[in-house]
Amino acid sequence: MATSAPISKILDAGLGETVIFPSPGQVIRRRMRRHKGLIIGGIAVLLTFLVAVFAPVLAPHDPYAQDLSKRLIPPFWHEKGTWDHPLGTDNLGRDYLSRVVYGCRISLIIGFSIMLIAVTIGTTMGILAGYFGGTVDMVVSFLVTVRLALPAVLVALAVVVLIGGSMTVVIVALGFLIWARAAVVIRASTQQIRSQDYVAAAQAAGCSTIRILLTEILPNLADNLVVVATLEIGRAILLEAALSFLGMGVQPPTPSWGLMISEGKEFMLFFPYLITIPGTALFILVLGMNLLGDGIRDVTAPEGRT
Amino acid sequence: MMGSKLKRIGWIGFILVITFAWIAAPVWAGKKDDVLNIAWEKELETLNLYYQTAREGVILGRHIFDRLIHRDPESGEYKGCLAKSFKWIDSVTMEFELREGITFHNGEKFDADDVVFTLNHMSNPENKVKVYQYVGWIKNAEKLGPYKVKINLKDPTPAAFEFLAGPVMIYPDEYYQKVGMKEFGVAPIGTGPYKVVKVTPGKEIVMKKNENYFKESPKGQPVIGTIRQRTIPEANTKMAELMTGGLDWIWHIPKDQAEKLAQMPNIDVVAAETMRVGFLYFLLDSPQVKTPFTDIRVRKAVAHAIDREAIVKNLVGGDSKVVHTTCYPKQFGCTEEGVTKYDYNPEKAKKLLAEAGYPNGLDVDLHAYRDRPYAEAVVNYLRDSGIRAKLQYMQYSALREIGRARKVPMAFWTWGSNSVYDISAFVGNWYKGTGDDVIRDPQVMEWLNKGDTSIDPAVRKENYKKALQKITEQAYTVPLFTWVANYAFSKELDFKAWPDEIPRFYMSKWK
Amino acid sequence: MIVYTLKRLGLAALVAITVSIISFMLIRLSGDPAIALAGENATSEQIEFIRIQYGFDRPLVIQYLDWAHRALQADFGESPYFQQPVTRIIGDRIGVTLKLGVMSLIFAVAVSIPMGVLASIRPNTWIDRIALSISVMGQAMPSFWFGLIMIIVLGVWLRLLPISGTDSFAHYIMPTIALGYYGIPAFMRLTRSGMLEVLSSDHIRTARAKGLRWGKVLFKHALRNAIIPVVALAAVQLGFMLGGSIVIESVFALHGIGYLAWESIGRRDLPVVQAIVLLLSMIFVALTLLSDIINAFLDPRIRVK
Repeated sequence: MATSAPISKILDAGLGETVIFPSPGQVIRRRMRRHKGLIIGGIAVLLTFLVAVFAPVLAPHDPYAQDLSKRLIPPFWHEKGTWDHPLGTDNLGRDYLSRVVYGCRISLIIGFSIMLIAVTIGTTMGILAGYFGGTVDMVVSFLVTVRLALPAVLVALAVVVLIGGSMTVVIVALGFLIWARAAVVIRASTQQIRSQDYVAAAQAAGCSTIRILLTEILPNLADNLVVVATLEIGRAILLEAALSFLGMGVQPPTPSWGLMISEGKEFMLFFPYLITIPGTALFILVLGMNLLGDGIRDVTAPEGRT
Repeated sequence: MMGSKLKRIGWIGFILVITFAWIAAPVWAGKKDDVLNIAWEKELETLNLYYQTAREGVILGRHIFDRLIHRDPESGEYKGCLAKSFKWIDSVTMEFELREGITFHNGEKFDADDVVFTLNHMSNPENKVKVYQYVGWIKNAEKLGPYKVKINLKDPTPAAFEFLAGPVMIYPDEYYQKVGMKEFGVAPIGTGPYKVVKVTPGKEIVMKKNENYFKESPKGQPVIGTIRQRTIPEANTKMAELMTGGLDWIWHIPKDQAEKLAQMPNIDVVAAETMRVGFLYFLLDSPQVKTPFTDIRVRKAVAHAIDREAIVKNLVGGDSKVVHTTCYPKQFGCTEEGVTKYDYNPEKAKKLLAEAGYPNGLDVDLHAYRDRPYAEAVVNYLRDSGIRAKLQYMQYSALREIGRARKVPMAFWTWGSNSVYDISAFVGNWYKGTGDDVIRDPQVMEWLNKGDTSIDPAVRKENYKKALQKITEQAYTVPLFTWVANYAFSKELDFKAWPDEIPRFYMSKWK
Repeated sequence: MIVYTLKRLGLAALVAITVSIISFMLIRLSGDPAIALAGENATSEQIEFIRIQYGFDRPLVIQYLDWAHRALQADFGESPYFQQPVTRIIGDRIGVTLKLGVMSLIFAVAVSIPMGVLASIRPNTWIDRIALSISVMGQAMPSFWFGLIMIIVLGVWLRLLPISGTDSFAHYIMPTIALGYYGIPAFMRLTRSGMLEVLSSDHIRTARAKGLRWGKVLFKHALRNAIIPVVALAAVQLGFMLGGSIVIESVFALHGIGYLAWESIGRRDLPVVQAIVLLLSMIFVALTLLSDIINAFLDPRIRVK
């Protein structure tokens, strides 16, 4: 397939072409314990999940409650900090810890939703292209090339502004823009799986195509899907942050981390905690997702590490 | 082997040449080179200043152009500028004796033709200037002699002097007709104390001192050799540049950062009251969008929901004051006498909403274009009373466009009246049926018309008062507070801030 | 080779046409362009007049063909905001973006290839881990954050570099690092995996067995082979960097087309946005085409595939 070779090679730079061999659970568990990145990433992601789930318990205040008489109180490590607002308050006197905690929810919801859209589109295209090859493959590769040619941030900005900013618009716009990588990776894996004996056996046994796709191909893509999905969540969260930074992401007063950075950036020179706190939170989550994704790939298919 | 070595030398040479080409570009800085580096965040669409309304354009207009008369910022007194003398013949006729020997920056001679052309051209509705209120009072201008001009007014216009001393700049007739409206916007020519030498639209404007500036000018003589304006969108970048000497002057700094900047050894900070007033502006009805503000109870609920005192005290700071009418208190005709005032009362707001049929609150968009923290504070107050407003933040020109097209149910606007000390420059744009007015109450329009065209100050005041009373009683808008401008500049710069929000660099010098 | 080039050319043309249709349609998202152009207080007759004058009443296909025809002659109409031809506005600013993009690419390649080579010679040692950490952290850090922190540290505290603007070469250093940093992980991983693959291949083993100097083997034989996919990636990364410079340009007040696009979106200056989307896409298409051809030239196997 002429059109896809270079592109797939390029996109795989971050992910690696993965060869799937069914591995005994024991081997994987042992590899997992030895893989520091996976453990660190896993813990980081788990923690953020817990924070998101228990946000109402963890947040000391209402994240939306504004008290203009309590503006810009610094965090506890600062001499003027108070334990009533452990991470201080923002420019409008809202409790920063509560906003970070609820922001965790928003950022995860955004990341997951975008990923779901992107991975669904990407996987469907990738499986179809990889399994059927020929014309279908050509069309999918063409679509991937077209999508990559469009500047993603710019198109997302334009769509959000022209349709009107809201969380749903941001999610849908980004979801429809970042599926290409998933498509390329899944296509490559599907091609490899298709040539396996068990697929040939199913074909010989006269199973319907849909059945083969759903029962033979898809389950064997599971490891790859998990890897792609975790990495895409990280990317999606970063993209949303960039849109928010440019003032065109999620609309206030929703506490998304990207928006908090964007609101705090005006104060960066003199009240740096306003952006270092949500910035660090964002960094930990995205780093965690990336380490987890890389780690799962290493563990399930160590020969794919690049 | 030889070939590849040569090739390598060629490459290194190529890279070096390019590197030096970059390094060789001049770096300008401050007092040493007599270059005043200033920055703001706005990209001006055009320097044809009748076709834009941004404050930054108003500022440039004072430097590039002159007007017939000049209003002394210190005493408030009107002095002849391009006009040697001026007088009222009757209530609808003015006569001007012009100064001789003044030239435009391109050498074109200034005379009666320039004045007649500018006034007649700009006041012609077909030429669609952005704020018609400023020139709409002119019926026509006539040339009485090479240096003598008569202006005929449509109606008596007491604010005429204010307009002539402010937004009505005099353009060169020959040059303007030659290059046309659009080209003038990137290569403007005036008589003012500074001439534009370089325009990179949206990026930078370089102005040099006009060495031939006429000596009798009441504006005084410019001192600083070069003014270089750069557009820097990022607030931190701007402040960092000021702290490290890359810039000499910035403004629009939020209160908290201004306080911190003031502590730096090389920076002076001035907080000055401005004529700018902020307000929430409602769309009462529209064929294009659904608006809940048709119902007066919802409008009143919004007015009661916002704690303006708290915003002024904590967020705006300085000399900012809460206002109860949409005009600047020191403007002629602006009054709070007998107007309906709305106190901060979330309970009342909720009750009004329930009466209006929104017991569970309502969802609406709030559009805003500047000072995002203020808008967010308003959003949060509205939320407390059950009005779940989502902030739609966009650029001024975009908001103006959709606002005038009746697509914005509620917007956070501010208005600086183009620094005109007469209420007609404010309410004329928002309630008189032209410009940004989408409310169009015929009765208010009639009172404003009477106020604008009477020469009896008592009659004027009476009519403006009636209009303001009706506007507040109907809660067409929610007046918020006056603005404070924080200026930060190099300690080497002698700079004075004025309440009309016009920095006058032609009056500045190095210490 | 010729057949292959022609095939790629045909595909690139097809992609270009599709992308142009998308950028044409993008602007229609905002609703009726006639109403937008007619502006404030327009009566329905005026809107109708404008609709006919600008040809918005014609079928979409015709409108597209007309627009594409003019776009081919570098005529993108006039910006309603600046009242200037779009081509002139973009022409004034594209130089900055190209400079930034090329410099960022050079920076990314200059840092990541040595890093990747080092990591591949000593896999799974601390060098490898540091290289990997740098690339992993780079992917997790928002670029605007990185840029702002550089301004504070290098610009304000240490006063080493100018903060904003495009006056000299030094002004480009911080934006170049901020933008180029995000290209490093991909280049590094590709170099590392390419080197690992080549180093374990037979001909390198043969070369070493023949007693050739290790350094020579490494650079003359191994790197030359491993670098082929990196060349292809470079062209594509340049495309990504041009598209991604929007955030960096706004942080460092560089007045390139990224910043212009952002501002234009904010003020609904749609012809400018449309032209920039199209231009960036076309540059990307051209770069991928170039990289495919270079690739095929360097690696004959691709041609046959």
